[in-house]
Amino acid sequence: MKNEKSGSLMAKQRRAGWYYLMPGTVLITIMSFIPIINGFLTSLKTGSSASMKWASPLTYNYTRMFKDALFLRSMGNTFLYLVVEVPIMLILAILLAQLLNNHDLKFKGFFRTCVFLPCATSLVSYSLIFKSLFATDGLVNTVLCKLGILQTHYNFLGNPTSAKIIIILALIWRWTGYNMVFFLAGLQNIDYSVYEAAKIDGANGWQTFWKITVPLLMPTIVMTAIMSINGTLQLFDESVNLTNGGPANATITMSHYIYNNSMGQGVANFGYASALSFVIFVMVAILSFISMKAGDKRD
Amino acid sequence: MKKISRRAFLSVMAAAGAAAALTACGGSSGSSTAASGSASVGGSQPGGHKLTAYAWDKNFNIPALNAAAADYKENVDPEFELEVIEQSGAGDVENAITLAGSAHDYSNLPDIVQFQDHYIQRYVSDYPDAFVPMEGADVDWDGFGKEKLSYSIVDGVHYGVPVDNSTVIFAYRTDLLEQVGKTIDDMTGATWADVTKVGEDVYAKTGKYLFSCSGDNGDLIYIMMQSEGVAEFKDGEPYITENETMHRVCETIVDMAKKNVCYLANSWSDYIDQSIQGDMVAGVVQGNWIIPTMEAVTGNSGKWEITTIPKLDGGEGYASNGGSSLYITANCGNVDLAKSFLAYTFGGSTQTYDNALRDGGVVTTVLKCADSDVYNEGIEFFNNEPIYKQIVEMSENVPIIEQSDYHVRAGVYLTTAVINTINGSNLDDELANAEQQLRFEMGL
Amino acid sequence: MTNTAETHALVQREKGKKHMIQRRLIPAYIFLIIISFISVFPLSWMISAATNTSLDVARGKIMFGTYAMQNFKNLIASQNLAGAMGNSFLYAIVQTVISMFVCSLAGFGFELYHDKNKDRLFSILLLAMMVPQVATMVPLFKMMSRAGLLNSVWAFILPSISTPFLIMMFRQNSRNFPNDLMQAARIDGLSETGIFFRMYVPIMKSTYAAAAVITFMNAWNAYMWPKVVMTDNRAQTMPMLIANIASGYSIDYGMLMMGVLFCSIPTMIVFFVLQKQFAEGITGAVK
Repeated sequence: MKNEKSGSLMAKQRRAGWYYLMPGTVLITIMSFIPIINGFLTSLKTGSSASMKWASPLTYNYTRMFKDALFLRSMGNTFLYLVVEVPIMLILAILLAQLLNNHDLKFKGFFRTCVFLPCATSLVSYSLIFKSLFATDGLVNTVLCKLGILQTHYNFLGNPTSAKIIIILALIWRWTGYNMVFFLAGLQNIDYSVYEAAKIDGANGWQTFWKITVPLLMPTIVMTAIMSINGTLQLFDESVNLTNGGPANATITMSHYIYNNSMGQGVANFGYASALSFVIFVMVAILSFISMKAGDKRD
Repeated sequence: MKKISRRAFLSVMAAAGAAAALTACGGSSGSSTAASGSASVGGSQPGGHKLTAYAWDKNFNIPALNAAAADYKENVDPEFELEVIEQSGAGDVENAITLAGSAHDYSNLPDIVQFQDHYIQRYVSDYPDAFVPMEGADVDWDGFGKEKLSYSIVDGVHYGVPVDNSTVIFAYRTDLLEQVGKTIDDMTGATWADVTKVGEDVYAKTGKYLFSCSGDNGDLIYIMMQSEGVAEFKDGEPYITENETMHRVCETIVDMAKKNVCYLANSWSDYIDQSIQGDMVAGVVQGNWIIPTMEAVTGNSGKWEITTIPKLDGGEGYASNGGSSLYITANCGNVDLAKSFLAYTFGGSTQTYDNALRDGGVVTTVLKCADSDVYNEGIEFFNNEPIYKQIVEMSENVPIIEQSDYHVRAGVYLTTAVINTINGSNLDDELANAEQQLRFEMGL
Repeated sequence: MTNTAETHALVQREKGKKHMIQRRLIPAYIFLIIISFISVFPLSWMISAATNTSLDVARGKIMFGTYAMQNFKNLIASQNLAGAMGNSFLYAIVQTVISMFVCSLAGFGFELYHDKNKDRLFSILLLAMMVPQVATMVPLFKMMSRAGLLNSVWAFILPSISTPFLIMMFRQNSRNFPNDLMQAARIDGLSETGIFFRMYVPIMKSTYAAAAVITFMNAWNAYMWPKVVMTDNRAQTMPMLIANIASGYSIDYGMLMMGVLFCSIPTMIVFFVLQKQFAEGITGAVK
């Protein structure tokens, strides 16, 4: 009797749970999944954006992209940003979090706010700021010349290598603080006595960091890594606003190239653009899955 | 317990209602938002006096539209009102049209749009119902410069009214030319090779580049090509590797860049803010809409003069770059008013064009409008020469060459080829790459 | 339990503050000062640029100028600053409020009523995080057009109300929600709805704060999508206003930076005000 009653109660509660999660789920389905399915169908079509026809063969847009030198370059650029930027940013973020988690440190709030501030800046302003700073007559050039590091003003955004470095610097500047907050939060959940104990055992800072901090922070690292991989593979704003993909398409990212193919520069090649987007989607999903498996050893 | 679950259910419905209500009251949600008013932006109603328009520069084409609106209000319809919806660039307008066209929903468009001249052909073929032709409007089409007008005619039908004259000028700092013993007349009708030599001298003597161009678009290549009367397209296909003129033009640019004659800016803002306004150059070669930008450096007033473009084998070259026109969209609720407005003002009203020039530096393409006093005034910045009159006269000589909606992309790839060549690649290989990429994109 | 431990730690920390700066921490301070400087410098430059003339800004002047008032006057003369600020606030607040409600409800449902199917559904939802924005823009636009929502606030906010990230945050944080308390409340006759509003919402307030900061910042800075669906002049937001100033053939940088400053202040204030709760809210997120 009692069992039965609580059983039906459980069922009711379970149903209540479904009701609760329904609005959010429905919205995500309509606003994300249906469009991506739509996008996938579009990726199998060709023709002008107003009257699209099924491609023959259906995979036309997909086989096409492997012959597209510019897409391959944009993919190369994006992965370069990913491989260089994400590790540096995450390590820097952990390091900062570690420092700020020190109970003896003063002005913690001040430092934390400073480091977080960049990600509260609007995108337009931050790209403008970086562009002006690194302009040929900009502040960085002026300072470097005065210090005697540079002889003549250097065109930072005009050289493929330095333009890429600036994009990476801009990304690190903007997002390190954001990730740091997550690490700081993760660290605050680690009992401080673990560190005291390690200190007593004679572990140095380096050992403590690798043997205690990193393993305990693993879930946070996985989460931030997935977010960063996701963000970097979809990188768009920096490429558009800082360098406009230039010089000579040397810094263009995948999303930027997709945008150029769908809306930018008067070309509305929706079929091909959709195929490219779907490929990014699959790549992000695979990479996230790998990092989830790599980091998720506890369950 | 039943009661609880029902209440839970109700509350969830209320929550889900958030989602449902959104769809239900979405269309009429105006009342609760700042985006109130009609569901569509097209402000006009049949018999009304109001029109809306997209334009994108507070210092250029927006004042021109306002000048036209004031003219129409004063002389035709005292109740007339034009609301200009500011965009952040021509690209915004073009995106809006592309999206509206592909969704077959033009309700987001205003009555009148202004966009760059290269796109209308493609838009009309892709979205045949997106624009209302100017048929039946009272416009003297013969009054316009032919080259400019050729853009907005699709299959013999007039779709737009030209606004700005984008004839290219080559402006020089006469004081700097003087230092190397040259005058503006020496530069007129010269070959590019002559110009390069002068440029080398100027750089050696004054440390300034002779001119600059933006490395993220194909403006300079297009300008040089058009003044030769050759396009980068032929019969709808890229015309690059087989194009002798293209090879010579690119070689010339590479040579000029290597010799510090031409400063290759890495972006538009580098081009505008650093090279021109930062006083790095002794000359500017660009569509005449660049003039207000040059005039911002007030210290150089009176030192400038303008002339035509050099050619590879000498002679005066003419080109046109970056102009735009006005079009009536399918969302316009008062086509008669829109047609009448455009025909009366940009169709050839001296008052409109005089004020457009004064307030925004927009130069007319209607030849007779250049007879006005305003156009014949000497411009102090340009050594008191009546440059606007000269520009309109130059515009009559611009050769018509084949256009393509891949024009912008072609420019990007060709400039990429030039930059890579400057950095040590082989020009032939680079041009072949550019052609291949372009053909790829065009699906050829 | 945790509370007392935390208070204890706090007391400890307070005691620590009374000591002098420790010597061994000096390298740490130097490092942090350098990083803070790098982080803050571009922002302070933005502020000083807003007080200089366009030419000075383009030439990279760092010092503060005297042109602030003029830049401000130019800005309000040429742009509808008040309108754009109002719109931005309206949209950002509406989106934040609705988003908080929908996502916390979902997080609550996913965690506190969890079973296998719900967990499975959740991992499917996470996939939505990986959908690139450029990919969905055209289909979404068509959808909004068919629903007749173009140029309404719903077209702006609907796609970003429910995000997998926020649901994940609420779901994770709900693990700290005391289950026995919930059972006790049920026995006392509190309805499931009551549990959500009377217990869950107050207890989770720091999570709400963190989520609000993130949502508000995203909504405030949104540009591409709003630009596409909101074409009415009266619907202009701050990022659009700035983009308009930054366009054109010649740009007034002093005025632009003044605009940028106005655009940045609200998100910073939101962060400053909710800073403490933000940190706490995030803390729960990764437990």
